[in-house]
Amino acid sequence: MPIDITMPRLSDTMEKGTIIKWHVAEGDEVSSGDVLADVETDKATMEMQSFDDGTVHSLPVGEGQPVEVGTVVAVLLEEDESPEDATPSKPAEPAPADAATPAAKAASPGTTPEPVSADGSPSSSARSSTGQFRISPVARRLADDHGIDPTSLVGSGPSGRIVKRDILAAIGTGEETRSAVPPSAGTAPPAPAAQQISQPPAPVVPAVSVSATPVSSGQITIPGALQSHREPLTGMRQTIAQRLVESKQSIPHYQVSMTLDVDPLLSLRKSLNSQLAGTGSKISVNDLIVRACGLAMYANPLMNASWAGDAIEYHGDVNIGVAISLPQEKGGGLVVATIRNVDRKSIRIISAETRALSEKARSRGLTIDEMSESTFTISNLGMYGITDFTAIINPPNSAILAVGAALEKPVVRNGELTVGREMTVTLSNDHRVVDGATAAQYLVSLREFIENPAQILV
Amino acid sequence: MSRTIEFRDALREAMSGEMRDDARIFLIGEEVAEYDGAYKVSRGMLEEFGPRRIIDTPISETGFAGLGIGAAMMGLRPIVEFMSWSFSLVAADQILNNAPKMLYMSGGQLRVPIVFRGNDGAGGQLGSTHSWCVESLYANVPGLKIVIPSDPYDAKGLLTAAIRDPDPVFCLESERMLSMTGGVPEEAYSIPIGQAVVRREGTDCTVVSFGRPVHFCMEAAEELAKEGIDCEVIDGRSIKPLDIDTITASVRKTNCCVVVDQSWSFASIGSEVAAQVHRYCFDDLDNHVHRVHSDDVPAPYAHDLEAEMLPNARKICEAVRSATYNA
Repeated sequence: MPIDITMPRLSDTMEKGTIIKWHVAEGDEVSSGDVLADVETDKATMEMQSFDDGTVHSLPVGEGQPVEVGTVVAVLLEEDESPEDATPSKPAEPAPADAATPAAKAASPGTTPEPVSADGSPSSSARSSTGQFRISPVARRLADDHGIDPTSLVGSGPSGRIVKRDILAAIGTGEETRSAVPPSAGTAPPAPAAQQISQPPAPVVPAVSVSATPVSSGQITIPGALQSHREPLTGMRQTIAQRLVESKQSIPHYQVSMTLDVDPLLSLRKSLNSQLAGTGSKISVNDLIVRACGLAMYANPLMNASWAGDAIEYHGDVNIGVAISLPQEKGGGLVVATIRNVDRKSIRIISAETRALSEKARSRGLTIDEMSESTFTISNLGMYGITDFTAIINPPNSAILAVGAALEKPVVRNGELTVGREMTVTLSNDHRVVDGATAAQYLVSLREFIENPAQILV
Repeated sequence: MSRTIEFRDALREAMSGEMRDDARIFLIGEEVAEYDGAYKVSRGMLEEFGPRRIIDTPISETGFAGLGIGAAMMGLRPIVEFMSWSFSLVAADQILNNAPKMLYMSGGQLRVPIVFRGNDGAGGQLGSTHSWCVESLYANVPGLKIVIPSDPYDAKGLLTAAIRDPDPVFCLESERMLSMTGGVPEEAYSIPIGQAVVRREGTDCTVVSFGRPVHFCMEAAEELAKEGIDCEVIDGRSIKPLDIDTITASVRKTNCCVVVDQSWSFASIGSEVAAQVHRYCFDDLDNHVHRVHSDDVPAPYAHDLEAEMLPNARKICEAVRSATYNA
């Protein structure tokens, strides 16, 4: 039986996903575990893996098209299966030979896209239009027992409910007689996907190769000129927009800033890295700031809190979120990776975790777990030379630290004018949770750690 | 030694056999004596046991039901025949308020070892008021036991158990089954109250029923077998206490369940079985429990309409197909 691969549910709140890039093409052999595509959800871009071995028969969903969870995005043929096996329940037999026009030939089984109903999802998807996942209790239990991910199946029950026979089919013991009645019988013949899915505008690149031929209006197209175009929102962009508007509109933000002497921190870093040379470890300024923020959080637990409507929640763990910007070719945007229990981890572990998560964020995307439960966030634009800026709180945090660049400046030390390196940090706070004096006290603690950085190491 | 006899004869054998052994037992009801019973169930009993033990009554259900309960409280073991359970409604205060509660209200001093028996369900064009299925109504009352035989063997075995039981037992028979024949041992035997029986083994869907509709279930199972759907048919035999263990053991195997109950659906035996199956087999179910009942209307008089209103093989087939996702 051909295997339908459906848009997986990669997070609790995911209702739609977008194939950012297909890593396979029709005709490719794939094995279980192979990455088929990069899928963008409302929260992150992740890899979609194959759970089966087979040959890619069709990829009915193109890149860039958001589809509901459960939609068939690829069809695999198993060994010994011919493309005919993947033919959907025949809408109508092609007319006899005399009517076999080129168009009819083009619609031959081998090229027939997977049937997609009018709303772009398979009529028997296990998810309703509200994204609710339906499965009978015994089917769920059987799936658990056999290690089958039911979200990868298409249900044959009413409203796409996954029932026992779907699981039995998936584990290869399905009795064909049981499913003799095709679940979609009686529905209209499905239309080919291509007619249903409008392709998003292709990425527009500067038209370098376009000749400067004057157009009829007499305007001249300048080589390399920017061109106006609309870009549909990515899931991540929508999430960023929604969450930040919500944060900025509902949280009474205020900022406090402080300029810190970072000479001791930078010389500590230099000394650490020269000792770590050859070990593969390299401590960044940001790693030291993450650790210092965590320790300052521990010293000021009133900061480690969230607004909860009718209460303030004080958290027992100090989890620092680190904002990571993503490369444009991955769809851009930014994610916040969570470094957990920073107050209890050594600088080397924090450094290694941060590096691993930011590499993963940029290559394969983070899991929900890797992005959740932060209690404070750091946004660092120091590497761009930004002197200072204000950041928008990342709910449910009640504070975010905007970190500027460490710059050489004329400074006064011990009453003497000299050259030193300073860094300005700006703390945005939720005034419902954190009052000005508390925020100020936090920065005083942070300065203690940054300016006397040996404490960070213990 | 077993031989083939009618359902009505099996009922009589149960009564006569117990009466020979126990002088406290008597039969009372309308036309049970001189007329040999309105449905000839008690044929010859007056001759054998005499008018002190086989007692004709006026049309006065409240009176003779109450008389029976009083006699039971004083140490006798009455069998009260209702010509139809439909007529028991006028005796509701006696059979629902006195019989099942007396042991409790007397602090355990007064047992009521009594059997009420008679025809239950649509007898065939008897109209709305005389076609009652009382099981759902009466099973709601604590202190009662209800048995509902579906063939002659069970008729003798369950009625014998009812007569021997120290508490009030309702035995629901069916006018439509009285002429049914089946193998019944000559010697006395009893079938434990509260114990179901698997009438047909199957793998795909558990079909639970009680009394006459069990036969419609068997009919439906044959039909469905041709479609490749293998039903397991369970005859509950007793309604209360309910043998939920036999039902759940089957549902754990088939993952599907249809309950066929000849009473109306709302607050019924069917809804009770469904609730318990959902309760005990939640993780074993591939679909919600489906139910087949009499339609929610008074029983029609017209022959075809009555047949359509009652549970029948067609309705059961439809329910099983739906429950097994073959609809």
